[in-house]
Amino acid sequence: MSKRPEFGTGPHVLEADGIRLAFDSRPVLADVYLRVQSGQIVGLLGRNGSGKSVLLQTVFGARAVPDASVRVNGCYVAPAFRVPGLVNYLPQASLLPPYLSIRQAARLLRVDPEKATASFPDLRQQLHCRPGELSGGSARLLQVLLLLHADTAFSLFDEPFSGIMPVHVETLADEMRQTKLRKGLLLTDHRYAEVLPLCDVVYLLRQGRLLKLEGDFETALRDYGYLAS
Amino acid sequence: MTILLTHLRVVLLFYRSVAPFMLLISVLILWCVLRPALLEGWARGGILPQLVLIKLMTGPVVWYLAERMRPNQYWFYYNLGVSRRFLWGGVAVLDGLLFSGLMLALNACYA
Repeated sequence: MSKRPEFGTGPHVLEADGIRLAFDSRPVLADVYLRVQSGQIVGLLGRNGSGKSVLLQTVFGARAVPDASVRVNGCYVAPAFRVPGLVNYLPQASLLPPYLSIRQAARLLRVDPEKATASFPDLRQQLHCRPGELSGGSARLLQVLLLLHADTAFSLFDEPFSGIMPVHVETLADEMRQTKLRKGLLLTDHRYAEVLPLCDVVYLLRQGRLLKLEGDFETALRDYGYLAS
Repeated sequence: MTILLTHLRVVLLFYRSVAPFMLLISVLILWCVLRPALLEGWARGGILPQLVLIKLMTGPVVWYLAERMRPNQYWFYYNLGVSRRFLWGGVAVLDGLLFSGLMLALNACYA
């Protein structure tokens, strides 16, 4: 936490608003407001093509959107990824360069790979492997673990459970619950059965607008047509 | 100092991904243009700056191809806090130095 003194050592609040985006004159995001704070897991749900990934990338700072405002504890940050120790992001695509082993990547991300895989002992034998030498599920899980254990105030995950086998999904969900004690997590994934019990707050991205769900998340998702009734 | 070293390592890492294209271009320019020029003696009119210019002009082509073929290659570097501009700036400096070094070495060999 000492790497981000400008934001203090207490809980952090990440806010994003004013995000408007259109592709080929089709509005994808319209005046979105999003809030994540330390100690929270925030779920971002929505149909395919609703703009979830774009929204995460905008918050992360990789996608420049005019008028977008991303703030931490009220301080404007643009792009957020340039602020040391503030935020990391797992894209849907593979994160790691193909010629770097997991252990080498962990060193650059300043993560202890042994500690990161403490709950997944079978992965330890694969730390010397490059991403292309691993199964899709193992590579995905290791990438999630590296970012989860990195010393950042926030982690943004785009489909973190994708391709991971059920027994590991449960353990990973437990890891996320542990990690939220020291950081804020924002994740999007279509595996709502795994995501919903994890989340303290759930947003639904629908027709370009971000709706904060209240009460029973599953009922609300059925009402909005995200889940079949 | 640690941040500087990390950034240097990151640029070297990124350079590794584009080095095959950039080094191939360097070798082609040096072998197909500079070497015959030196052997045949028509390199005395200050060909070296022109070669550097040619090499500089190939940079945007490599950049464009890398953007088109590997649009997702930047995510890891973003997670290290390094921007796309910094990566390509570092690559330009590194590759420029390497090209200049090879060019001067070849020039010295055939002088």
